[in-house]
Amino acid sequence: MSFRNNLESGAFVVTAEIGPPKGTDIKDMLHHAKMLKGKLDAVNVTDNQSAVMRICSLAISKLLLDMGHEPILQMTCRDRNRIGLQSDLLGASVLGIKNVLCMTGDHPNAGDHKEAKPVYDVESVQLLGIVDSLNKGTDMMGNEMKGGTDFFQGAVVTPESNPIEPQLMKFEKKVSAGALFFQTQAIYDIKKFTDFMKFAKSFPVKILAGIVLLKSAGMANYMNKFVPGINVPQDLIDEIKNAGKENALDAGINIAARHIRQLRDDKICDGVHIMAIGAEDKVPLVMERAGLL
Amino acid sequence: MIITKKRDFKELMGNIKNYKSFFLLGCSECATLCGTGGDPEIKSMKEALEAEGKNVTGSFVAKTGCQVLGTKVELKPFKDAISESDCILVMSCGAGTQTTVELFEDKPVYPTNDSMFLGNMTRMQIFDERCSLCGKCILDKTGGICPITACPKGLLNGPCGGTNDGKCEIGPEIECAWVRIYNRLKRIDKLEDIKNTAEPKDWSAHKKPMSLSAREKKSS
Repeated sequence: MSFRNNLESGAFVVTAEIGPPKGTDIKDMLHHAKMLKGKLDAVNVTDNQSAVMRICSLAISKLLLDMGHEPILQMTCRDRNRIGLQSDLLGASVLGIKNVLCMTGDHPNAGDHKEAKPVYDVESVQLLGIVDSLNKGTDMMGNEMKGGTDFFQGAVVTPESNPIEPQLMKFEKKVSAGALFFQTQAIYDIKKFTDFMKFAKSFPVKILAGIVLLKSAGMANYMNKFVPGINVPQDLIDEIKNAGKENALDAGINIAARHIRQLRDDKICDGVHIMAIGAEDKVPLVMERAGLL
Repeated sequence: MIITKKRDFKELMGNIKNYKSFFLLGCSECATLCGTGGDPEIKSMKEALEAEGKNVTGSFVAKTGCQVLGTKVELKPFKDAISESDCILVMSCGAGTQTTVELFEDKPVYPTNDSMFLGNMTRMQIFDERCSLCGKCILDKTGGICPITACPKGLLNGPCGGTNDGKCEIGPEIECAWVRIYNRLKRIDKLEDIKNTAEPKDWSAHKKPMSLSAREKKSS
């Protein structure tokens, strides 16, 4: 069954993230992909994440598809104008990629090519509209195409963005533009996330909670300080601290597993998106402890 | 106004190292306000060049350096000083530099400033960008705050995930344009202005090089 069908059937879906490497040595990435095979509903392939230049999302999505994974092609608007984006979407379609996650993309300032000219010819909401047009068989200008696409298109949302009102306004625009599923920024406060879900559930979209695996108390503090929209509560930081340095990652795995279990058992959202950020080999363990395997 | 910034003097000297004598041309408008092309800056440029063993044959602060014909008339009395110079240093914006190139086709012309942006002087010698000259103004739809300019990504439909307590992901010194827009429209009870999705921008209004005739067409 496909990611789309699983979501639409009401199953609790699990996706994880694969970051294409910088350089052509893909051994480690393939190793992680093999470990995750058969365990996930879909695998997200990031698009020059954090504006750091790497192998393109499209090529790795195709490799993973050939391995038997169902890829979600992440697509940002930072590096391509509207012609390039549509062209790559058509390319993805003929390569058999079914899912696309539309994002604006981190500014080049965050990455390793700070002198790059950012494109942002269109942005996330408009990219969703573009996918919708391609799905209907025309390009964004309304020109007829010989064969359209059949994408299942999603977007991202930051439930703990501050202030929240403009973020929710944008969420609504993304829904109107055709987003069918959402992946959230990392969430750590299930109660706050439940409040967001009360709002989100009034829209006909599926929501996958973002789960970022905490690897140390330092990582949690760093994210609290530097990553917008991420708030790791102090009691979780203490839990990792109290576990001691050697067991910090294990405590992080427990927290992730506990959150996933609660989100599923209490039917808070439609699934989770696990971001292990360098610890992809731990994803099966998180899933096992969450009772998903 | 056009905000200009003085180029590094060493870089400038590298560009003009083969020339001995110079005519200096400033501008009384933006460059004077920016402190890059008024009388005091011309004086200190003259001193700096002379300290490097160079000769300044004359100088002038044009009233409006981007007004080609006006500048041509203003420079007539300086014909000799200009012809005696090896090259002209223009201490205004890129437009002023190109005025000079048009007026003196046989003379090398070098800019002493970098042209930065179109902006406002918010306090003495403090400048903020306000307009990207996109060719199709959207201020009527965004509470009078330009997201094409004030948002580093030029977003048209609300803040990105990088917005952080009203600040931009690029740096805490930048206010999130979309939080500003949202708050302003809320204050004036016009939030409905941004409720609808803004379509992709028509950048064909910004095809380079742009030109405009504001002359009224003669009726025949």
